[in-house]
Amino acid sequence: METPREITVLQAAIILISTIIGVGVLALPRIAVLAGDTGAPLITLLGILLAFFGLVMITLLGMRFPSQSLIRYSEVILGKPIARFGSIVIIVFFAVLTALTSREFGEVVITSVLRRTPLEVTVIVMLLLAVITTRNDITTFAYIHHFYSPLILTPVILIVILSLKNAEVVRLLPIWGNEPNGMFLGVLTVAALFQGFFILTMIIPAMRRPDRAMTASIWGMAIAGGLYLIIVIATLAVFGAEEVKLLLWPTLELAKTTSLPANILERLDAAFLAVWVTAVFTTLFSSYFLMIHAATELFQLRNHRMFSLFFLPFVFIIAMLPDNVLEMYKLIEIVGRFGLLITVVYPTILWMVALIRKKRGKSHAARKNR
Amino acid sequence: MFFWRRKNKRENTGNIDVPQQFLEKHKNEKINKNLEDTLVILQQLLGANDDIVVRRFRVFKEFSAAMVYCSSLVDHTQINMDVLKPLMSTSYRDETWNSNRLQEIILEETLYHSDLRLESDLSKIVRSILSGGTLVFIDGMNDGFVVGTRKVDKRAINQPGTEQVIRGPREGFIEQLGTNISLLRYRLPTADLRVKTMEVGRVTKSKVAICYLEGIASPDLVEEVKDRISAIDIDVVLDVGYLEQFIEDNHMSPFPQIQNTERPDKTVAQLAEGRVAILSDGSPFALIVPTVFHQFYQTPEDYAQRFLMASAIRLIRLVSLFFSLIASSLYVAIISFNPELIPTQFAVAVAGGRAGVPFPAVVEVFVMEVSMEILREATVRLPQQVGGALSIVGVLVIGQAAVSAGFVSPITVVVIALTTIGSFATPAYNAAMALRLLRFPIIFLAGVFGLYGVMVGIILIINHMLSLRSFGVPYMSPVVPGNYQGMKDIVMRAPLWWMKKRPASLHTANRERIGDAVIEKLKQPPSNTLNPINVGNRKEDPPDGDTT
Repeated sequence: METPREITVLQAAIILISTIIGVGVLALPRIAVLAGDTGAPLITLLGILLAFFGLVMITLLGMRFPSQSLIRYSEVILGKPIARFGSIVIIVFFAVLTALTSREFGEVVITSVLRRTPLEVTVIVMLLLAVITTRNDITTFAYIHHFYSPLILTPVILIVILSLKNAEVVRLLPIWGNEPNGMFLGVLTVAALFQGFFILTMIIPAMRRPDRAMTASIWGMAIAGGLYLIIVIATLAVFGAEEVKLLLWPTLELAKTTSLPANILERLDAAFLAVWVTAVFTTLFSSYFLMIHAATELFQLRNHRMFSLFFLPFVFIIAMLPDNVLEMYKLIEIVGRFGLLITVVYPTILWMVALIRKKRGKSHAARKNR
Repeated sequence: MFFWRRKNKRENTGNIDVPQQFLEKHKNEKINKNLEDTLVILQQLLGANDDIVVRRFRVFKEFSAAMVYCSSLVDHTQINMDVLKPLMSTSYRDETWNSNRLQEIILEETLYHSDLRLESDLSKIVRSILSGGTLVFIDGMNDGFVVGTRKVDKRAINQPGTEQVIRGPREGFIEQLGTNISLLRYRLPTADLRVKTMEVGRVTKSKVAICYLEGIASPDLVEEVKDRISAIDIDVVLDVGYLEQFIEDNHMSPFPQIQNTERPDKTVAQLAEGRVAILSDGSPFALIVPTVFHQFYQTPEDYAQRFLMASAIRLIRLVSLFFSLIASSLYVAIISFNPELIPTQFAVAVAGGRAGVPFPAVVEVFVMEVSMEILREATVRLPQQVGGALSIVGVLVIGQAAVSAGFVSPITVVVIALTTIGSFATPAYNAAMALRLLRFPIIFLAGVFGLYGVMVGIILIINHMLSLRSFGVPYMSPVVPGNYQGMKDIVMRAPLWWMKKRPASLHTANRERIGDAVIEKLKQPPSNTLNPINVGNRKEDPPDGDTT
């Protein structure tokens, strides 16, 4: 499949940022603090580094096979049967991830804004939004991410800045945390929040300069990771470790404690959540897009549009499987940690096998001269 | 005998019952030497019209000739003075005539009219009669003389009604294509201005002109425009809007993808940016392709005013555009779902105002928005004499009465008024219309899902806008995909000397707009010629009251 090479490095970085930043931000401080109380920033940093390792693997593979996505080059590297099995696992995993993201946001919406609306409605609205939009091509995909990126970055930064007046540095200490034994699992869970970076494997074949993909991934991970880190630090500094453990969505509570100067809006949480719809949308959009494009490439179809509606019922059913919020978060943790096998370990294996077997895709320059 | 004649006649009429079809069937037929034959054919084709005049006379007092014209389309003074007079008053008796020589003499020595040519093609002759030409046939000659004597009444050039400016040229296009092109040429006295005409419309045969600047507009774009227009096959083209609907990219989108303007200065500015303008005879509008969204809230005045004020005004326009789309739905969402967002005193005031209102906020807003749209449409259709009166009755009386009747709350009226006024601040009527209509689904979403619904609605609209293309140019460029040069003209209107390049998205052949020397010159400190200190040192006659 020949894709138009239109995506710039900036756009690729933005796609990474807006894909990674999603509904996970709302619960992130609790996850990190539960794992290592005041060590939460450190855990977050380690999680970022782990995720970044996976991203580097994806990028290296992408630069090695600049005109193919992971679905295609894994067939070259591992042979068709194993690679196809891997691809199916990837598709299923992202279907589950999409479902859980939409479910998580649906829960947030019905808990804090629309208390009498059925969960199913909020989830299906979000999914439909993604389904309708995935019918566009990859250029529009990049445009959409590009357009919303300021809308995703600004509110978070705004809330962090506005909440600084309640912050106390002493709540961050000790940096190592008090009980470091839960740290390892915590790092894995935090890293799992970054799994959206996998979208890069679909982006690289459409990039104008695939050889500069590494720049995009470094910037994307630096900005998204930096944002996650300051949110954890700000939440911890405002509430303290013990308080954060009691809050279901600490970031949302952070938005509640802040208010705009001059009292334009009495409370910010509903407004924050409204703007946050875009962040969740971009994340859902990316994972849904990744899923249907992977399926299209796996079945070697020419048009991805057929799948966009086809997957909707499955994703919706998966989203409705957990009975309540607690069960959902348990599932998210399990699926997330398992997902690291796909998003970090699998690319690493692929890259090593590719190195050993000396497999290499047609370079970008060769394509250009053809 | 009688029967035979009738039959013959019927056959004849059957043959050329519809003159246009007859002409299309006999496309390349020529007229012959015999004057009477020619007149019979023309009589049969056009004789049913009472405004077709056949005037017989003698050329040079010798050769029998006839003049055919359509009396409603021609300038009679021109015919009398420039055609009839020279042909009838001159006499050349001394020479030996043959028909070739006669043609030459008439063409080169007798008729002094600039628009004069020979024509022998029957269908072309009919066409030129019907477009205001005067045909002179001389017995024994293979060709007729076509004299351009067209005179059609036209409106005076005055200020365009839909695009008013405070500062800037006051001219607007009128219906006649020739005048419109002259308005463009007058502003662009350059050899690079290209005007390509073609005919569209089976019946109207409207002239469509494609104007662009050679060397600036992308040649591919010009080709594409020509392709799209020549593919149009429709019976009538009464306005350039007919063409717009055939050449736009996405027919289902509520957003216009082609800009139209009544202003020659705006058209020229767009041509100079590398766009292509399409004009059609009979329409006072020019289409401009390709179009991106931000063009719809820019006015030519922005560039005539100084940049700070222009930027501020543009910002206000952008805010009002946004207002017209979502103010009412935000109101609905906040009142119905999140009253905790607004400050307490205000929330109390809103609740007090809504105390007697029996409907939910969404119904209230919906009814008011619909009645506002009715009012707007009625004001457009009404005769001017009562229009003002009606809008006063509609807005003041009905608004006031609705509030005191407890039908709507006063704050709803304020919000509705804001959205309506906001939509009129958008310079482009068609874009304002799109946003005005799109606010209805958003109000509905706000009534069902609150702020969440408003966001979902906005995301859907923006995603759609991001997926639009106008002749391949992304609709939201230069914001997305980003272009630093182009961004200078989006929210703010940067000083003219900052905007050195033409829009990158148009892929113009020549991108430079401003010479480097100008910028160098601007950077130098101004020479204060009339600085009182310098002037005073020269010790001229001390002016009255000068203390130096």
